[in-house]
Amino acid sequence: MAQMEKIKGSRTPAQKAKTGALSFFLNLLMLVFSLSCIFPLVWMFYSSLKTKRVFNADIMGLPKEPTLSNYQKILTNADYHIGQSMWASVRTTVISILFIALFGFIVGYILSRIKFKGNRLLYVMFLMGMLIPVHSLLVPIYIVFNKTGLGNQWFTLIIPYVAFGLPMAVFLVEGYIKGIPVELEEAAAIDGSSFTRTLFSIILPVAKPILVTIAIIQVFSCWNEFSFALVLIKDVRLQTVPLAMTMFKGQFASDYPKIMSAMLTTMAPVVILYFVFSKQIIKGMVAGAVKG
Amino acid sequence: MLRSIKPKGRVIALFLCIPVVWYVFSVFVPLITALFYSLFEWKGGPNKTFIGLENYISLIKDGTFWEAFSHNIYLVLVCIVGQVGIAFVFVLIVNSRLTKLKGIHRTFGFFPSTISAVCIGFIWMMIYDYKRGILNWILEVTGHADKVKVWLNEPSMVMALVAIPLVWQFIGYYMVILLSAIASVDTEIFEVAELDGANAFQRAIYIVLPLIKNTLLVCITLCVAGNMKAFDHIYTMTEGGPGTSSMVMAMYGYKVSFAQMNMGYGSAISVGIFIVSLIVIGGSQKLVNWLMRDKGVE
Repeated sequence: MAQMEKIKGSRTPAQKAKTGALSFFLNLLMLVFSLSCIFPLVWMFYSSLKTKRVFNADIMGLPKEPTLSNYQKILTNADYHIGQSMWASVRTTVISILFIALFGFIVGYILSRIKFKGNRLLYVMFLMGMLIPVHSLLVPIYIVFNKTGLGNQWFTLIIPYVAFGLPMAVFLVEGYIKGIPVELEEAAAIDGSSFTRTLFSIILPVAKPILVTIAIIQVFSCWNEFSFALVLIKDVRLQTVPLAMTMFKGQFASDYPKIMSAMLTTMAPVVILYFVFSKQIIKGMVAGAVKG
Repeated sequence: MLRSIKPKGRVIALFLCIPVVWYVFSVFVPLITALFYSLFEWKGGPNKTFIGLENYISLIKDGTFWEAFSHNIYLVLVCIVGQVGIAFVFVLIVNSRLTKLKGIHRTFGFFPSTISAVCIGFIWMMIYDYKRGILNWILEVTGHADKVKVWLNEPSMVMALVAIPLVWQFIGYYMVILLSAIASVDTEIFEVAELDGANAFQRAIYIVLPLIKNTLLVCITLCVAGNMKAFDHIYTMTEGGPGTSSMVMAMYGYKVSFAQMNMGYGSAISVGIFIVSLIVIGGSQKLVNWLMRDKGVE
């Protein structure tokens, strides 16, 4: 390090100016990028406080007379069913996550710790789930759900969401359990704890961090999932948030402030979640992407 | 593996049965169903006729399917360069001593990837809009009013225009993944290289690149897989139009199956998407491995 300081100190003024210019340029570039990522949110927020007429006259300006009328309209008019779709999304997301975490925990634990015939087969089967291009199931899953009457119910979407979230959960848990010493369970067994009891009262608390990671990843993928909802849900009352948003496309395409207020309302839960827990969320998502 | 404890097989089977049945029902049953129905001429009604491999023969000759496939490949290539490439450059910048506000870049940059594709699609439709779009607003303000147009109606530009939101949405995502890979590398290695007189470009190619090679491979695989399934953005912005100029495979399968109610052929397309995607994803992994074979520092 001392050597580094010496080099820095020995730089000529011309070099310093060059470094300064470079530093300015690089910081500017990154700042432009970062702001571009957040700009739509800001733009939509202040534009949603304008009326349609004011917005059409000047799309970029700040609102001179901010009004909440757009929010009032979309929340009170039942035709937009914003509240209903948010409830459908919350319900689907929460139940899916609980099942993914529970199943992922059980299957991941058994795959990593219990030797039985078919262990490897099961492992490969879940591995295939990671490799299969899920979108090719769009049409077939519609056919299957239609034939079995599982389509267009309040629980319909939970079925594919849990199934598609499971492989990653299984492998995250499996990898995590491998790092826990076997002595933990052996001690419990000597103390007379049954398999089931050991699993839920000893291993489950230890595996909590990885289950939180799984839940974080799945909150976003379940809340944002669109294509399977599009295919499987026909009843307007059962539509999840992304699906309900597409309704705005045809009907109210010209009323941008109203669409913006609807988008912000339906985005609010995940946006707030993201900015409050951004550190943990980013960490969890990265772990999921790299290890999964 | 547990050796000293042998839980009863019955207990294990009981624990496994629900998740496994659930999983098989949603993943493997539809796959087999698609294989079955792809052999029929079936319009979704009660009647279907067995036609053997005819659907597959039409699929191979189907120009729209291959056009859609080429659009997927286009998206893959643009996004590998645009998402992973730009993310890599940004990582080098953010990681250098000259840059400030690293936490902000991380948090803000990652943000778009947490938003639903439908919302991203809407936002960019508003940007491209003719009368009220930001793009045309910028053109007018800067005095290029003659370049103003209905952007998403231009067949020759539409693929590039739908690729931009995709690239923009995920740069931050890959940037954060790559940053976390670099964070695990000892910083001394960069300082030593600098002392040895390696310039920024050399450091990027000969030190950073080999060190995060595996993570880079993961990013490229994610990128390829993600773009082979492109659907949500396209559905929101163009629905494959104008004509078929922004058609992607999943969109085509959806249109054939639900707009034309041609379920038999739609199933064949699904099987086609399945096979083609597996080949592309597998092939790209092989290719990247081969390209990076002698850049390792093992």
